[in-house]
Amino acid sequence: MDFDGLSVDQAPPISAPLRFFLTAPLFAILAGILILFSDAVTLSSRYSVETIVITHAITIGFLGFVMLGALVQMLPVLAGVRIAKVGIVSKISYVFLLFGTLFMIFGLWFDISKITLLASFFLLCGFLILIISMLLAFRGVVHVTASIRAMITGLFFALIITLMGAHLLASYGVGKFSALHHVFANVHSVWAIFGFAGILIIGVAFHILPMFYVAPRFKRFCKKSVVMLITTGLILWLFLNLFFDFYSTIAKIWIALFFWAFATTVYLKLNARRRKVSDVTVWYWRSAAIFMTLGTFAWSINDFLDEKYIVIVSILIGGGFIFSIMSGMLYKIVPFLVWFHLNAKGYMSIPTMNDMIDKRLSKSQFILFILSLIGFILSFFIPSLLSVFAITFILSMAVLEYNIVSAVLIYYKTLKRKPDFDMSMFTMKAEN
Amino acid sequence: MSSIKEFLAEDHGRCDELFANMEDAVANSIESAKDAYEEFAKNTEKHFQMEERVMFLEFENKTGMTQGPTAIMRHEHTQMRGLLEEMRKAIEAKDKDKFFGNSETLMILMQQHNMKEEQMLYPMAQQHLSADAERIIDMMNSMVIE
Repeated sequence: MDFDGLSVDQAPPISAPLRFFLTAPLFAILAGILILFSDAVTLSSRYSVETIVITHAITIGFLGFVMLGALVQMLPVLAGVRIAKVGIVSKISYVFLLFGTLFMIFGLWFDISKITLLASFFLLCGFLILIISMLLAFRGVVHVTASIRAMITGLFFALIITLMGAHLLASYGVGKFSALHHVFANVHSVWAIFGFAGILIIGVAFHILPMFYVAPRFKRFCKKSVVMLITTGLILWLFLNLFFDFYSTIAKIWIALFFWAFATTVYLKLNARRRKVSDVTVWYWRSAAIFMTLGTFAWSINDFLDEKYIVIVSILIGGGFIFSIMSGMLYKIVPFLVWFHLNAKGYMSIPTMNDMIDKRLSKSQFILFILSLIGFILSFFIPSLLSVFAITFILSMAVLEYNIVSAVLIYYKTLKRKPDFDMSMFTMKAEN
Repeated sequence: MSSIKEFLAEDHGRCDELFANMEDAVANSIESAKDAYEEFAKNTEKHFQMEERVMFLEFENKTGMTQGPTAIMRHEHTQMRGLLEEMRKAIEAKDKDKFFGNSETLMILMQQHNMKEEQMLYPMAQQHLSADAERIIDMMNSMVIE
């Protein structure tokens, strides 16, 4: 039996998740700059190159990096398993993903086919290395819970969307597009949002909300069936989309219904939480629930409006739901990792988690972010507003980066200064 | 009769409730929060000792693993006791910021500790100690905190 997941020393090195977390807001800043140099009319079309580039600077560069960093860190805790050679695996995949995402952005934006092809290869390698390593790690699970089932399902979706994404990107590289290109792109995006990110978030929420906020537990039916019902919906949608497109709205409504139910449940559980303390992470969960409710509604009716509003749907779900939750998570996980790793090294005089990030700055960051989201939606109708909200978005991401960096600096400064020389250090060493 | 796994996991839930009560009490008035803190600290300490002085020992005797998961869990108990002590000092100093800074850290540490126990250690303990479950639970129930 493998006990590595239980060990402090065997937990992933702090650098493994941190390098993903520190890079993520930088990609979001880059996305903001690209929005600043684009016009709202071009971005209203989902298949314009600008839209594709900006979307992926956010979905891979921000959301993907945060999700993968968090998975690397949480696997030992949530599932009791550990990725083999986690240090090196995360380092290699990080390099592939970093250059893959940069090459994708620059290759597509400046239409340089060789760079785009290279991006496709790098992203394929980066994602596959991590996803397969994680799926292999799951073989060692002793006690399969609803969260673990959701994580495995999410990773299978991730595997498929990676393969599809690499194919789609390579098509831009060689300049040849199959007849099914748009169908593929559609499946890729829907499965990425609902199959990978959506299911992963649901799975983690089963644990996180009752535990960190002492909220009521999710109902057994919910934990047992929701992921399966959504997966069924996503497969049904694929089938209808390919063969009976006219009816695919039915599957969409099916999927939207469960995500709407999830969003409502999250909101109600937060209301009923026993831990009344409220911080930026709670606000982010709440905003995520509200945006997801609007997003599922907009997605369902979008079909009846000739798919005119798909960009708004993407802002509501990708930005309002997934982005919100990832940002909130960063505020919890980064200060904790800093405290945990310093404490495990024997340092006792460490700032508390709440002292690591300035509360006023995290509040400003949250407000700027929500303002930007609302602004992006308004810009769809009033294009001249776009540049203003691109700037508020860049600002919110710069503050987010600053907030994370301040926590991380505490870690490295403490290691450098070695402030402690108290007896507890010796106690810890004796125990080890 | 509940299993060792259920018995200890339910106790985690009870400690979470007391934790929330304590935070409520401090948020309302840190001057009068001492009782709620003591209630939480006492129950948490009891939980630690039920494991350290009964269940972990039984597990170690049965499996021969003294440097395995139980050693790591003992180490995390030490970390949590340190935070509990800081929270006590914060209440005495009537320093709400310091209290909530430490309680937030304790909450996450405690929850990831509980997840590891419920996910790995308790199922293993259940597997190895099921024949003696009733006796072990009785011992844990009747234990006096040192």
